[in-house]
Formats: sequence, structure tokens, C-alpha cells
Amino acid sequence: MKKRVVYAVLAQLAILAAWQLLARSGAAGLTVPTPASVLKVYLEPRFAALLYRSALATLTAAAKGLVAGALLGTVTALVAYLVPPLRPGLDRLAVTINAIPAIVLGPIFILLVSRELTPALLAAISVFFLIYVAVASGLRSASGRLGAMMTTFGAGRWQLLRYLDLPSSVPSFLSGLKVSITAAMIGSIVGEWFGAPTGLGIVILNTMQNFEIPLMWAAVLLVAVISLAGYGAAHAAERFVARRFSR
Amino acid sequence: MAKVEIRGVSKSYALNRGDSVLALKGIDLTIEDGEFVALLGPSGCGKSTLLHLVAALEEVTTGSILVDGEAPSLLRDQHRLGIAFQDSALLPWLSVKANVGLPYKIAGRPVDRARVRHLIHLAGLAAFAEARPSQLSGGMRQRAAIARALTLEPTLLLLDEPFGALDAVTRRRMNLELQQIFLERTLTTLMVTHSVDEALFLADRVMVMSGRPGEIVETIAVPFPRPRRIDCMRLEQFHQLTDHLTLLLEH
Repeated sequence: MKKRVVYAVLAQLAILAAWQLLARSGAAGLTVPTPASVLKVYLEPRFAALLYRSALATLTAAAKGLVAGALLGTVTALVAYLVPPLRPGLDRLAVTINAIPAIVLGPIFILLVSRELTPALLAAISVFFLIYVAVASGLRSASGRLGAMMTTFGAGRWQLLRYLDLPSSVPSFLSGLKVSITAAMIGSIVGEWFGAPTGLGIVILNTMQNFEIPLMWAAVLLVAVISLAGYGAAHAAERFVARRFSR
Repeated sequence: MAKVEIRGVSKSYALNRGDSVLALKGIDLTIEDGEFVALLGPSGCGKSTLLHLVAALEEVTTGSILVDGEAPSLLRDQHRLGIAFQDSALLPWLSVKANVGLPYKIAGRPVDRARVRHLIHLAGLAAFAEARPSQLSGGMRQRAAIARALTLEPTLLLLDEPFGALDAVTRRRMNLELQQIFLERTLTTLMVTHSVDEALFLADRVMVMSGRPGEIVETIAVPFPRPRRIDCMRLEQFHQLTDHLTLLLEH
């Protein structure tokens, strides 16, 4: 275990060193900065403040979208469960919404709602579909044997939901949440590209156009780290719950 | 306690293109109040289907099933049925204690902790009340499932090959323990099994079913007095009955 960690750290350092050498030599062109110059951006108070402000805006929009999308997706899946005739229609609606590339909805949201809300809305739309599919299938994942047992003991629809199908859907919900975190970040950043006032998406776009290469890389790296951290947290929660809910 | 009357019951399943397959044919069976009846038959003979019909999990095609003159679905909706399946069907995220108490929750009644504790003790799981099903052996899980079936003091107990997945030794011990539980109360019970020993050891009457479509081909009143001990399996009469029933199953 310890050995593996040491090897992993060594490998990362080796990659960083190779990158540094490659970028310094100029063989990769002007657009590849050295790791040292990217690191320097984080240490520069002016840039650090900008990145912090922007990351906060992007994260807030992503979090709002995640919560709203997850709530809406869960409620819609519950409606489909409790009112079976509505299910085929809701399935089709969710698939249709997902089939539209979120990016083309950006301009519509900008004009319809506001520049400030578009990132959260785009995040919510992607999350809605993922959570709807995860919860809807999770609610049907309990084995027929368990359902027959509950029914024989006289369980109605509500008891089936509360004591069997809802707990059965928890692992599937967490899997959905895991992929939703990345989707929410993408939605939020794409939403910012349509002209939100602040955010990491804006920083990435502006620095690309102004050829501020180290700052651009620093912003991209920050997005990657945030997404990975969210994914890791959800993955840990999923593993913890999976152990508890497995037979 | 309850009297179960099964009259002329048949069950067919629709297949593709309007065809159908007959699973049960002309079943007539009366289970008296407090009687333990075992349904014995080869696999696929429809004995579990009959149990599902009594549990109102499926509907009869023709004929009728009445429990104390009422439809089984009514009994079920009043939480007066107990059932144990071959695969225990415990909720994997709940402790043994919570699983045994589950019928109270389903019925919307307050959990009687003392009774749950008593049942867990009766099932020999006192040390495992807080354990989850994945931490138990197959035999322990089945005992927990049977304890759960008894939680609400059911009018009618249904056992669907409750020990079918266990090895012969464990199964025999389970049969002894189950009979111990039944000494404490008389309970109208319908058990489905493909084990001749199990049927003879536990039941008051054994019904033998034929292969598909399932029909009752013979009824035997088990002559051994209760409480039955494991010795009763060594009696000459037990062997004779075993041979007789085994022969019937092979036809």
C-alpha cells in the first residue's frame, strides 16, 4: 500500500518534470506553459483572487444546478413510479430533453431568463436527465421476490415505496449523482460562455483570446481538480452505501 | 387460525399467439383450522403456483379459494398472512431485528419490541439481532425469515420451500426447530416442498402432486404423534411412507 503511494507520487513528479523540460525547450510551441509558470499564477495574489472569485461563481452555479436538477429528476421519477400511466410519457420527455444538445439552449436561456442564471439552468438540465434515469431504474431494481414478500404481508404502493423501492434506489441514485457532478460543471462552464458576468468559463475564454497562456491553464486545471474532487467524494459515498445495501 | 377451502382451482398462463399452458388442474383441497398441510411434488408441477394463489399474488383461472369464507386478498390486506420463501427474501439493508419487525411497519402498527425479541430468540438468533443478512449463514437467514412470517401472529402461514436451498444436515436441524416453534402454537400452515422427509416430519397431511399440469394424486394422513422427535424418521412406518411417496413422485 505504502509502496504504491510512493510509486504514484514519483510517477506524477516524473510527468511534471518531463512537462517542464518539454515546455522550456519550446518544442511544444508557445501555447504550452511550464508547470512552474502555471504554479506561479496561483501564487500571484491578483490572479489567485480572480481565480477564487471565478471558481466560487462557477461552483455556485454548478451546485444550484445540481440541487435543482437532482430534485426535479427525483420528483419526476417518483411521479412516474406512483402514477404508472404517466411513465412512458415522462420517459420520452426526459429522453427528448437529453437529445437536445444543451449548448443550443444557451442563447434561448440568455434571452428568456438572464445571463446570470443560464449556467445554473444548463447544469440543471443535464443533471435532471441523469438523475431521472438513475432514480427511475433504481426504483425498479428490487427483486420480484422482495416485492412478493412485501405484498403478501399486505404492503400497498406507499409501503412498497417507503420500505423497499426507495431504499433499493439509493445506490443507483448515488451512481447518478457521481456522473451528475461532472455534468453540472460542464453545464455551468458552457453556460458562462454565453456571457455570464463571472466564472471560470469566462476566465478560460478571455485568457484564450488574450493569449494569457499560464492563467488559462491554471483555470482549466482548477476546473479539473474541482470536478475530480466532487467525483471522488460521490464515489466514496457510493462505495460506503453499496456495502450497506448489498445482500 | 383459519380454514382454507380450495375448490376446483385451475391456473393457466397465456403464451404467445393465443396459446396457453395449464399449470394447475382441478385442485380440491381443504385445510382444517390449525392443520399443517404439506404439498409435495416434482419441480415445475405448479405447487408454488398454488401457494401464490393462496397468497393472492396471482389470480385463479377457474375455481375459488376461500379462507374462513373470505377472499385471500382480503386476508392479505388485513395483514393476516405470513410467508417464508426459499431465498429468505430479507431486506439486505436492515438488521435481523428490523427485518423481523418489518411486518409491523407494513401494517402501520407500532413495533412490539418484546415480541420481536421473543421471535428472534425462538429462531435461535438472539446473538445476531443487530447483524445484517449478509453476515448470516443460509440457515440463519431462513430462520429469520420464518420468525418474520410469525411476527403478526398470522391467521395462515405459507411456507414456500423454506429450506430448499439448504444442505441435508442443516435442513434436518431446521425441521426440528420449526416443529419446536409449532409446539408453542397451533397455526394453519400450507408448506410446499420437494423433500419427502420434510413433508412427513412436519405435516399432519401430505398431498402429492403430479407433474404439469399439477393435480393432487394422493393424500396421506401422517400417523406420527406430536411432538415428533428425530427418532421418528427411523421408524419402519416412516420408511414405508417415504418409499411410497418417493415412488409416487417418480411417476
